[in-house]
Amino acid sequence: MSIKATLETVNRMQNDGVIDRYAIGGAVAATFYLEPMATLDVDIFVSLPHKAPGVLVSLSPIYEYLTSRGYRIEREYISVGDWPVQFLVPATPLELEAIAQARETDVEEVRTWVMTAEHLVAIALQTGRAKDHARIVQFLEQGAVNRDRLNEVLARFGLLRRWEQFERKYLAGSDE
Amino acid sequence: MSKPELRKHLASLSFAEKLKLLDKLRNRSLAIAASRAKLKLKLAGDGPSRPEQQR
Repeated sequence: MSIKATLETVNRMQNDGVIDRYAIGGAVAATFYLEPMATLDVDIFVSLPHKAPGVLVSLSPIYEYLTSRGYRIEREYISVGDWPVQFLVPATPLELEAIAQARETDVEEVRTWVMTAEHLVAIALQTGRAKDHARIVQFLEQGAVNRDRLNEVLARFGLLRRWEQFERKYLAGSDE
Repeated sequence: MSKPELRKHLASLSFAEKLKLLDKLRNRSLAIAASRAKLKLKLAGDGPSRPEQQR
């Protein structure tokens, strides 16, 4: 089963009211803007319906929906077809905005949403693992981010100082 | 085609085409991982317990 089929399943979950908005993040989303990069899973950031303020967020409805339809749970992933999917609720205001401002696109007539390049870079900066930094460099090298919009996102979420550190460490002497 | 040109070309593909490539990349990664696992099992099977090697 392809990623397209995985997205169809996620869309069914949305139509059935199990999830509210969603946005693809991680390497699959980065592939929207860059050349395809090998990855073994799909990160789907979801906002859940009917979430009262202060109530603990639970992914149980997603797990119940999918397991009742025969999908398997493997550690933090749910195998939807061939692809392990990690459903993530936004842990930061940045991720929340990334879902809200995700770009709508389609994959052979399957409607889906992908985080903007600027949000992906900001989230990668916030996460801060070596592979995240490498991905940021890829975005910059390929001119896939709008620097003005990126600066706005970074400023909005207090990431400018971290960005300066990143630039000093990884971009010093380059054209970026 | 040079490497930067190839990267540019791949980046310019439609999302649907890129996702098909991701499917292929993942299948290849899994096949490589499976063959490595098989090789490890084979090597373990052919290991110190083989009589000719114990001699």
